[in-house]
Amino acid sequence: MTAVAERTSAEAGPARVTRPEPPTPPLVNYLGLVVVAVAAFAFFWWTRDDTSVLYLPLGVTTLWAPQWPLIGFLVMLAVLALCWFTRTGVMAAFGALTVVIFSYWAGSNIHFIDRIVEVPGRLTAGNTREQLIGYFNPDWSYLLFSNVAGTSRPIWGEWLITLCMAVVATIIGCFIGLLLAMLASPVSSFSKTSSQTVKAINSVVRSIPDVGWALLFAAFIGGTAYGLGALAAVLALMMFNIGIVAKLLGESIDAVDPGPLEAADAAGANLLQRDRVAVLPAVMPSFVSYSLYVFELNIRASAALGVVGVAGIGGELSRQIRRMSQGYENVGAILWALVIVVLLVDLLSMWVRRKLL
Amino acid sequence: MITFENVDVIYPNGFKGLDDVNVEIARGEFVAIIGLSGAGKSTLIRAVNGLVPYTGGTLTVGETVVDPKNKSKLRRLRSKVGMIFQQFNNVGRISVLNNVLIGRSAVTPTWRSLIGWYGAEDKEVAFQSLERVGIVDKAYNRASALSGGQQQRVAIARVLAQDPEVILADEPVASLDPPTARKVLGDLRRIQQDLGITCIVNMHHLDLARDYADRIIGMRAGRVVFDGPTEEATDTVIEDVYQRSLTAEDIATADFPVSLEDLPAEAVAGVVAGEPDRKP
Repeated sequence: MTAVAERTSAEAGPARVTRPEPPTPPLVNYLGLVVVAVAAFAFFWWTRDDTSVLYLPLGVTTLWAPQWPLIGFLVMLAVLALCWFTRTGVMAAFGALTVVIFSYWAGSNIHFIDRIVEVPGRLTAGNTREQLIGYFNPDWSYLLFSNVAGTSRPIWGEWLITLCMAVVATIIGCFIGLLLAMLASPVSSFSKTSSQTVKAINSVVRSIPDVGWALLFAAFIGGTAYGLGALAAVLALMMFNIGIVAKLLGESIDAVDPGPLEAADAAGANLLQRDRVAVLPAVMPSFVSYSLYVFELNIRASAALGVVGVAGIGGELSRQIRRMSQGYENVGAILWALVIVVLLVDLLSMWVRRKLL
Repeated sequence: MITFENVDVIYPNGFKGLDDVNVEIARGEFVAIIGLSGAGKSTLIRAVNGLVPYTGGTLTVGETVVDPKNKSKLRRLRSKVGMIFQQFNNVGRISVLNNVLIGRSAVTPTWRSLIGWYGAEDKEVAFQSLERVGIVDKAYNRASALSGGQQQRVAIARVLAQDPEVILADEPVASLDPPTARKVLGDLRRIQQDLGITCIVNMHHLDLARDYADRIIGMRAGRVVFDGPTEEATDTVIEDVYQRSLTAEDIATADFPVSLEDLPAEAVAGVVAGEPDRKP
């Protein structure tokens, strides 16, 4: 018995207190939700494209039903029953039902369950098995002592290039992001129009993924892994960083305490002075924090960008993957090293963040 | 010095903040504005430096007519009209000195503000302002590390760094404990008298207004309902401004917070029985 319970029972004695009951949601609304579930079941049955059925001999009759839609329907009913017995509000129950319906709809369209049951079989046989063995027996001597195929550049030098790409992209991208965030927030921007315009530009920049930018820049300026490849990667990462920093920092600026801004206004400061003396100090910790986060993202993203033929360790990774049945130990070594490097950068940025804030 | 002629303020949502206000404030006067919440005290003060644009009549500060539409003219006006706020409105993350230097913004070139490299003259003015409010030893502390009374002194120093002709103070001591409130208000009064600055202050506490102000303006529903020297602001007059009888909280500052014994018996009973103080 807890101390609180002991205390109250000692004071209140045997007298029972009536406690309020949780309100019961109206039954008719829950019946409406059952109708929704039935409609979803009917739709899934109608649009099913597999032939697997559940065959249930019940003695007097045999029952058969399309397997997956029926299971989905039972899950929906179970969720509704659980919500009913826990007296969940109707809107929350509707939300839970919607999650079930959408996951069934989305999963069935890509045959998610059908494919995922095949995975264990693949893991233990054939090429997949060899790959896994290769990944778990990384060839460290390749990583430390070999050169990039056909050149005299060591593999570890590619790591340095990756790091340098990430540093350059982070520094340039975050500063441009800071400027765009200032222009995008109605708090610090010149006018409503300029804020809306810059926000629209930011959305466009953000809507193109980092690999998309890399493909674009590789096509513009030449995407060989030697020479110009690093530039394409840096530009791609830069756009990626601008999008992130402008978005996150713009929201930080929106939420800045309006008091000091008013004080700067009342002192006769112009807009630039106000942004510098009142807005910037308030969002500086967020800016540093986002920049470090973006640096981590850049290390990770540069591995993915290798697929489109840019420089750095990502390029080497995609070359080794393309060698198919020969490079698994090498791919494994790169992947493990990537995990270690990302962890190290993570720890470093955490340490810096703690020191700064 | 400051002249309101038939000044109206109508907010965008249609609420009438000021209704036909006619007030003339002479150079060097210390005016306290009293009234209940929503009576238009803040609106009156903010209309003077254009933080709230007035919609009708004429408002003159010194020789200049306040023009809320003309941004650069407004900035020039604001450089001579300092403002102090209830929540101090200092930038917490920068040093006290840099906060005071915000007051120099209007006379500092923008590029200097942007790179944070203020001239020796600006710094000298900032240090003199800090000396005047007596916290010059805190110049390189972070503003957020200071106590409430010290923070409000930083705000006063920021305003003094503007070399103001007018100081507007919106509830300057409402966030401070009563002894500190008296000290800060006393400092403000002394500096105002030394430098001959016109001062308009919003107040909640009658006794502070009576102790420090030359003149009291009472407001109700956006209108000026009392305007006269402090001696004339008797309890009867104030009750007319408030449209209710005065309570202990209206007057008390030294013995604020109110103890349970000062409250009416039924209110105390309600608190003890744990009744909700708000209707659901």
